[in-house]
Amino acid sequence: MTNVIYDNLVINFGFASKIEKKIFLKENSDKEIFMDLTCFDPAEFYAEFPQLKGSFSALFCDERKKVEVHLRAPHPLFISKLKELNYSPVETSIISLGFIFPRTIVQIINEAYFAFSENVATRADIDRAMKFGVNYPKGPFEWAKGKEKIVVTLLNELYAKTQDKRYLVSPLLNN
Amino acid sequence: MKLEHIIVIGAGTMGSGIAQWFAQQQCTVELVDNSSEQLQKALSSIHSSWDRLLEKQKLLPQEVTEMKQLLSVKSLEEVSANADLVIEAIIENLEIKKDLFKRLDHFFNKNTIIASNTSSFPITLMSDAVSIERQSRFVGLHFFNPATIMKLVEIIKGDKTSEELCHDLYTWFDQKDKRPALCKDSPGFIVNRVARNFYGEPLRIAESDIESRYKEIDHILKEVGGFKMGPFELMDLIGIDVNYSVTCSVWDAYANEPRFAPHSLQKKMVAENRLGRKTKRGFYTYD
Repeated sequence: MTNVIYDNLVINFGFASKIEKKIFLKENSDKEIFMDLTCFDPAEFYAEFPQLKGSFSALFCDERKKVEVHLRAPHPLFISKLKELNYSPVETSIISLGFIFPRTIVQIINEAYFAFSENVATRADIDRAMKFGVNYPKGPFEWAKGKEKIVVTLLNELYAKTQDKRYLVSPLLNN
Repeated sequence: MKLEHIIVIGAGTMGSGIAQWFAQQQCTVELVDNSSEQLQKALSSIHSSWDRLLEKQKLLPQEVTEMKQLLSVKSLEEVSANADLVIEAIIENLEIKKDLFKRLDHFFNKNTIIASNTSSFPITLMSDAVSIERQSRFVGLHFFNPATIMKLVEIIKGDKTSEELCHDLYTWFDQKDKRPALCKDSPGFIVNRVARNFYGEPLRIAESDIESRYKEIDHILKEVGGFKMGPFELMDLIGIDVNYSVTCSVWDAYANEPRFAPHSLQKKMVAENRLGRKTKRGFYTYD
């Protein structure tokens, strides 16, 4: 985790376990905190930590640095600080475990891993098919590169919350 | 590999798009359909498309003249038997397709490749309709709509399709204006399988049938994800019934695997005739 601190406002970036995120919040109950909760359920965190004023998802950011942001109440200072850090915040009112973009692409990535493990096609051909068949900006393996742990964590969180087998992780991705 | 003479069977949207694309690659193309009216409609539409490209100076007059000469429309009885490649792009009905393949197998010479543009049926199953000698030259070639614009061609290897043929087709398309992807003969091939959750997951995120939520999810996936269209506006464009049918088909083919399960709202919308843009009501309302 990386923290950017402005007086009483803390922006907590990066991947960490749910326990680590919660410990950080417990240790900083006197601050206004905005936290990257890409893999977790903001609603669960909001219920437990009143000092958490909003959450965002930056773990799948590409070079455009667009960040999905959920705020409990409007907070122009946080938005301006994100912009100072060269991020482009895109606000949403929908509170969803895994936000909107990460939750959607981890499912696409997981399916691509299932297909690859069943020898449906090579990784390169799966990426190529999704980019040139349905105009995806990136192929699933390009999105997943270096982020496999994040993908697995989010899928496991979704499964833990819903008990829906649609979120079971491809064994290949789990390895 | 020599692919100079192509026959496309079925002059619907996909067939005429495929025929147009091959003519644009300087191939001789014969477009075939049972309906002469459909053939004339397709020919006129392709010619208009080339004329528009000429007006926009994207094609030269000589190129348009040549392409018009390369493309002809015919009945199946009139086509030449020595084509390099025959592509079937008719209605998605297995029995009708198998009957057609039987006829094609008898009609075309032994070196002709027979391909299906199916998005739903196993290539291996359809190859049973042709002779054992032909089976190694029976392959899936799945184009994407509009075929002249979308770069992907899925090359589907059936159990009996020659590996060498698939490799040669891959190389041929790769050298042209296409991006081929080789895939195993499995339900949904690559795209119709991997893309299912682009629709299924946002339906679950939305939770309730409220247009503003669809709008917000579409906005985030375009803005943050970089997708050209959001899932809800895309489903409305494709047709809720069409998308639901593909989802059910993949779900059935994978023995009701939960990852492919349709959302109850899709079924409800089909029942209510909320089919998207074509009925002016889908996830969004259209005036």
